[in-house]
Amino acid sequence: MEAFLPIGILFLFAVAVCVGIYVLTNLLGPRIFQKNKLSTYECGVQNPLFETNARLPFKFRFYLIAVIFLLFDVEGAFFLPWALVYRESLQVNANLLVAMLVFSLFIILGLIYVFQNNYLNVD
Amino acid sequence: MREVFFMIFSVFTVLAALGVVVSRHAIFSAFSLVLSFFGLAVLYLLWGSSFVAMLQILIYTGAIVVLFVFVVMLLDLKKEETLDSAKTGPLVLAGVSVWLFSLLVLRALNRATFFKSTNIEAASDMKSISTLLFSKYLWGFEILSVFLLALIVSACVLARAEHMERKADQ
Amino acid sequence: MDLTELSIVSIKTLLIYVAFIHVVPVMIWVERKGAALIQDRPGPNRVGPFGLFQPIADAVKFLFKEDPVPKEVNRLLYNLGPFLILLPSSLIIAAIPVGDRVEIFGRDVLLQVADIDVALLFFLSISSLGVYGILFGGWASNNKYSLLGAMRSSSQVISYEIPIALAAANAVMFYGTFSLRQMVLQQEGVILGFLPNWGIWFQPIGFLVLFVALFAETNRLPFDLPESEAELVGGYHTEYGSMKFATFFMAEYINLATASALLVTLFFGGWHVPWLSDSWLLLKLGSQNLVALVQVSMFVAKVSVLLCIFVWVRWTVPRFRFDQLMHLAWGNLIPLGLANIIITAILLYFFEGR
Repeated sequence: MEAFLPIGILFLFAVAVCVGIYVLTNLLGPRIFQKNKLSTYECGVQNPLFETNARLPFKFRFYLIAVIFLLFDVEGAFFLPWALVYRESLQVNANLLVAMLVFSLFIILGLIYVFQNNYLNVD
Repeated sequence: MREVFFMIFSVFTVLAALGVVVSRHAIFSAFSLVLSFFGLAVLYLLWGSSFVAMLQILIYTGAIVVLFVFVVMLLDLKKEETLDSAKTGPLVLAGVSVWLFSLLVLRALNRATFFKSTNIEAASDMKSISTLLFSKYLWGFEILSVFLLALIVSACVLARAEHMERKADQ
Repeated sequence: MDLTELSIVSIKTLLIYVAFIHVVPVMIWVERKGAALIQDRPGPNRVGPFGLFQPIADAVKFLFKEDPVPKEVNRLLYNLGPFLILLPSSLIIAAIPVGDRVEIFGRDVLLQVADIDVALLFFLSISSLGVYGILFGGWASNNKYSLLGAMRSSSQVISYEIPIALAAANAVMFYGTFSLRQMVLQQEGVILGFLPNWGIWFQPIGFLVLFVALFAETNRLPFDLPESEAELVGGYHTEYGSMKFATFFMAEYINLATASALLVTLFFGGWHVPWLSDSWLLLKLGSQNLVALVQVSMFVAKVSVLLCIFVWVRWTVPRFRFDQLMHLAWGNLIPLGLANIIITAILLYFFEGR
């Protein structure tokens, strides 16, 4: 646990750099008030109202990408402890190889299912 | 030294968790959730499990909260209305009763014998956790892969159902 | 931890952090000169000899520009966005081993910010936090182009995290540890008499998967659709001006440096000099500190070569479309990574199993 202390120090340095950047911009940059600067970028169209509460229509594809990413991330996270002890365990028996083959069989089935039905094409 | 860090990060985690509940806009809740998971990961580190801490950041903060944020952004949730001052009385009462109830539950748990686990695994470093995972809990590991497959299929089927419904609407 | 140890650690952390931050101006110059070289034009040559002071001019320009904040943004998240990207990029530096030991005041100081035994896992976890800066920055700008750019960029980043995890699992399977320092220590010396004992000979496909996935993680061309000017104006950083805009790019370059450092550590022998072993060097040079100097310069040289390759690919290859990008991740890299793990597992069983 003591080995993680330098990471905390690094974090403090990084926060200091960020705060320093923020303070510097506020100090050094000019502030000229112009009405047009307050509106967000609308591709050249002059929007008379500044209230452009523009949000996206719901795109299901992005949500599905996030869900499938979550599941495959969990699966990838299971590969990591497996990989850690695999090479040593080969001295004893081939249990881990069979275990991983079965595990990845199901994951590959999942991947094949996603692809056959074309769930991931983003249009 | 460890106690000081523990206190600081416990307070941080609890405040962030409070932030999840108290925030008016869903996206601030998601952000506070990230902070509370991060604090929890540091607490795991202080207890000596660096492996679990890293996995906590990788899976929870790196995947689950991303999913939450995606949903919040896609659904375009608006800022919620503020709490009426007329409703704070019952709210305080509810808080006090929850606190009393939790005291009762904790006392009962302390006295119960069937909750005391005598079968704690003595594995805290990575290699022991991994070896245990693949020797004693191997069945759980394999069933988990089937479970993940079921989740993938169910998520896709729900997506298709939603998509068909939207097409029917148009 | 007593005070001398704490101060040594703080100074070492500060030095390594400052060294990585200095990659940013160097990369700005290398990128523009490299682009000019490939596109057959002079490039920046006005500010200083060979345009070497161009990054300084850029930094000064960014600092003195106005920071326009649109009216309808979400204040807290808008200001927090760039720094949410910069913080994970800075934290990843902690896991990278820059050299072996240095002897100061009789103590052995490792040339690495934190010698933790979960270094690779740390790298994976913290780099997956980089997606929040993009999401919150794009959303807080209250601009549909920014939001679309943020969604697409974050989908890209998360889709390519899985091949990185699979390639990392492949490397872990081979070296048997998560600690990057141990991985580098295992890559010492020579194999087969003439090849340096690098990881890439043993895991070529792992290297390929990691290389391509790191391009996408760092939002570099050919994967920089979310930041491309022609498509979505600026993507998720449309509404940011001056230094906040520069912070996005600082974070991207630091990410690039740490990605190259990871590739060097896993596949190219880290800080080892190619054919020589550390004990031979210690014998010839006498002092451990001199050996550390040679090792650090070797590391810097290897990372520089990789950075030049990144720049070279950027200005040579056209950009991918978003659906091509997604298909590359899910349809090509993930199956390739999985197949790589399975085949390596089977090969390891045949060579080393009972």
